[in-house]
Amino acid sequence: MSLFSSLQVSSSGMSAQRTRAELLVQNLANSETTRTPEGGPYRRQDVVFSTDQQASPFSAMFQNEVGTGVSVSDVVTDTRDPERRYMPGHPDADADGYVAFPRINPAEDMVDLLSSTRSYEANVAAISSVKDMISRSIDIMR
Amino acid sequence: MLDGITGNLERYIDLLSARQKLVASNIANADTPGYKTQDIDFQFEFMSLAKGQQPQVIQSQGLPEKPDGSNVNLDREARLLSENQMRFNLASVLVKSQLKTVHEAITGGSGS
Repeated sequence: MSLFSSLQVSSSGMSAQRTRAELLVQNLANSETTRTPEGGPYRRQDVVFSTDQQASPFSAMFQNEVGTGVSVSDVVTDTRDPERRYMPGHPDADADGYVAFPRINPAEDMVDLLSSTRSYEANVAAISSVKDMISRSIDIMR
Repeated sequence: MLDGITGNLERYIDLLSARQKLVASNIANADTPGYKTQDIDFQFEFMSLAKGQQPQVIQSQGLPEKPDGSNVNLDREARLLSENQMRFNLASVLVKSQLKTVHEAITGGSGS
């Protein structure tokens, strides 16, 4: 059933974009975090998407189905050096009085967040279009 | 008998839904690095596709590549999305009206 699996493809896109948005929001929230369980300041995280064959056990019978979903294949952590700010009174300051802050550029995250929202909306549009097609096919039977 | 009436339309609808799935996966993979836009050669498949067979997926040519190696153009996909939907609506109305004609022949025009 080609049309129903289109819904699956679009929903995989939605959940991938949602994961991305969650990480971006986490980056923004932690833009001043100097303490993490791993030690040191928070580091920016981002996702890597990869194509993903939608193979539910039932549809394994139709192996040559067209179209692929998307999945989050990896979460990468920024390896850039932390930003050093001179704050001698800060409890996390080093011997020279510098504190390591996360190297996070709010503009970068906001732009990515916008792009992620738009992609999410595009997937929603695809779902409603496919939904309309499915209900049209059901109408044929009436 | 009904196959002769709706056969071509059925194939058309099948192809449209296959294409719609490709458009959906292009949109879902809009941010996947290195992903290439997928499509089917609609005219060719409509003329040559045998019943029950899957159409051949090709990569769209002539789309500019983005720095991450993907060439998904969301505007193109949005256009195809609504175009497919409208074509599908048209085809489903045609199927419906043809089946209605058959129904009228059966009931002698007296049924609703």
